[in-house]
Amino acid sequence: MNKSLTNVAISLGVILVFFAVVMFVLGSGEAQEGALFNFSVDQATVVLRFAFVIIGLLIAFAVYYATRENTIWEVGTRQVVWMAIGAALYAVFSFLFNGTVFVVPSLSQVALRPAIAIPMFFGYAFGPVVGFFTGAVGNIFGDALTGFGLSPQWSIGNGLIGFFSGLWMLFRDRKQSINTVLWISGILALLTALLYFLNRNQANMLFFDADNNIFGDAPISFLAGIAILIGFALILAVRYFFGNNEAIATAVTWAMLGNILGLLFAAISDIWINGYSLPAAIVGEFLPAAGPNLIFAAILVPLLVVAYSSVQRQSGR
Amino acid sequence: MLVAWRYRKRENSFIQKFDPRAWLTFYACFLVSTLAFWDVRFLLPFWLFTMFVLFTSGVRWKEIRRAMLFIVGFVFFFAILTFLTGRGGSEIYGQEHLIREFKAPFSLLGWTPTLKVTVERAFYAVSQLVRVSTLAIMTILIPYSLNPALYGITFKGLGLPDKFAYAMDLTMRFIPTFGRDFQLTMDAQRARGYELEKISGGLIQQVRKMAPIFVPVTIHAIIGSEDIIDAMDLRAFGVGPRTWLQVLDRDFKDRLLIWFGVAVLVIAILLQFFGYGKFWVPEALIRLAGG
Repeated sequence: MNKSLTNVAISLGVILVFFAVVMFVLGSGEAQEGALFNFSVDQATVVLRFAFVIIGLLIAFAVYYATRENTIWEVGTRQVVWMAIGAALYAVFSFLFNGTVFVVPSLSQVALRPAIAIPMFFGYAFGPVVGFFTGAVGNIFGDALTGFGLSPQWSIGNGLIGFFSGLWMLFRDRKQSINTVLWISGILALLTALLYFLNRNQANMLFFDADNNIFGDAPISFLAGIAILIGFALILAVRYFFGNNEAIATAVTWAMLGNILGLLFAAISDIWINGYSLPAAIVGEFLPAAGPNLIFAAILVPLLVVAYSSVQRQSGR
Repeated sequence: MLVAWRYRKRENSFIQKFDPRAWLTFYACFLVSTLAFWDVRFLLPFWLFTMFVLFTSGVRWKEIRRAMLFIVGFVFFFAILTFLTGRGGSEIYGQEHLIREFKAPFSLLGWTPTLKVTVERAFYAVSQLVRVSTLAIMTILIPYSLNPALYGITFKGLGLPDKFAYAMDLTMRFIPTFGRDFQLTMDAQRARGYELEKISGGLIQQVRKMAPIFVPVTIHAIIGSEDIIDAMDLRAFGVGPRTWLQVLDRDFKDRLLIWFGVAVLVIAILLQFFGYGKFWVPEALIRLAGG
């Protein structure tokens, strides 16, 4: 086994151990139905959740193993610092914008979660390893800061968002990769939106309205149901509006794919963990989470890319 | 510049008498043991021990006032929410004994708000209060008691490789720093007339209006990282096995604490295995409800 492979295997093992400690040690059995981030790890399903943490890590490992010769998997000083910065920023923003410190308004059940732009951007700018650490560890620290419990498979899902956002580095032809990603994301967005139109009465499992005593019971609103199509259209508009700026086009399209695949992984895992049906997982969980995230991918990620590019030009790094 | 958690060396602090690795190991065992129970009679010793740790920690009220008020508010909010809605508890108990039912004198679109006060809901809220406050107080004391200079060596001592131990160390150190940066940036933007609390408009407008906070904090963090990267590179970070400035020593009392934690954990698991510690309601209360 070569050194790089050993390092990645150790790294994933470390993350697995970290999750094991967090889930089995810090999780309690006090789950609040309908909340994306539960008050605790539901101990009744903790083994299944842990199984999905392993599956998520195996997905990341499989991608690594298939492309292990590439330099994007190297972890040096810069990556260590960026991992820490990304995770800390994601934790702080998650804490501040989760509704307990700043009440970010939600429109027609579409809750805004601006912090998601951090793993997307860190994955794009600094590679999949940094993106994965940022999403997964940042989400855990963010929940811990808030006092909310953990849904570890959603933390891995957040990690996968950062991970896939950085995979553009594996492709030589950026333009072709962008087009392929757009096709894949478009098909997935259409399929999931179609599922919404076939199940319009499905409850929005993530909708939390304390004032009106609603916890995942309200039928999903039209806006939340089609948010993924709106997000996709926005990404498409950004991609073609900034057609000459490959950096922005790459960042937004790969962030979209990361968002769709990461959250699909987390939502689908709830079919086994919480016994949801496929429509409940996709329409009730995936759409209300993934749709609004795409709006952040389309607006905040390009702003970060532009600001970072100008910093790079100034510093020469 | 790094901003640290509000740690300081405290005189006669019970927590600080121990090696951080020993305390974190004990803490992990303590939490799992607490989670094994829903019975208030089993949870009370844990809660009392937590109170002992709190009052002997040397942490002053004015230092943790904001954090404690937040936690207490949060715990009460969820306990009351559970009490009012009955959610969460239905997985723990099957049967409910009604004490009293309150019905609103009005209806909203055919729905009449009703509050059912049952013995199980009331006691479940109490159990939840004891359980969660135990976990929250034990957790909140850690950043006030664990020396930030020892984060890295502690994670290393717990078995993480150097690079990941250091990444975890930096993550924990950066969190308060970025919290401060966020506040500074928000103050600066407020001086220019920006108010995060009054974001309005359509969905896309709202997202766009977050940028004046979001982008400067993130980019400032990335620019600041260059200094840290340079400092680490100059010290040949990652070139070979890392040495740590501080050395942690485990003595007899640390080993004792670890074994005590492990013993509590084993007993808790055995008790749970044999069916003890499940949700409990006093018989007298059930009789009171006519059950």
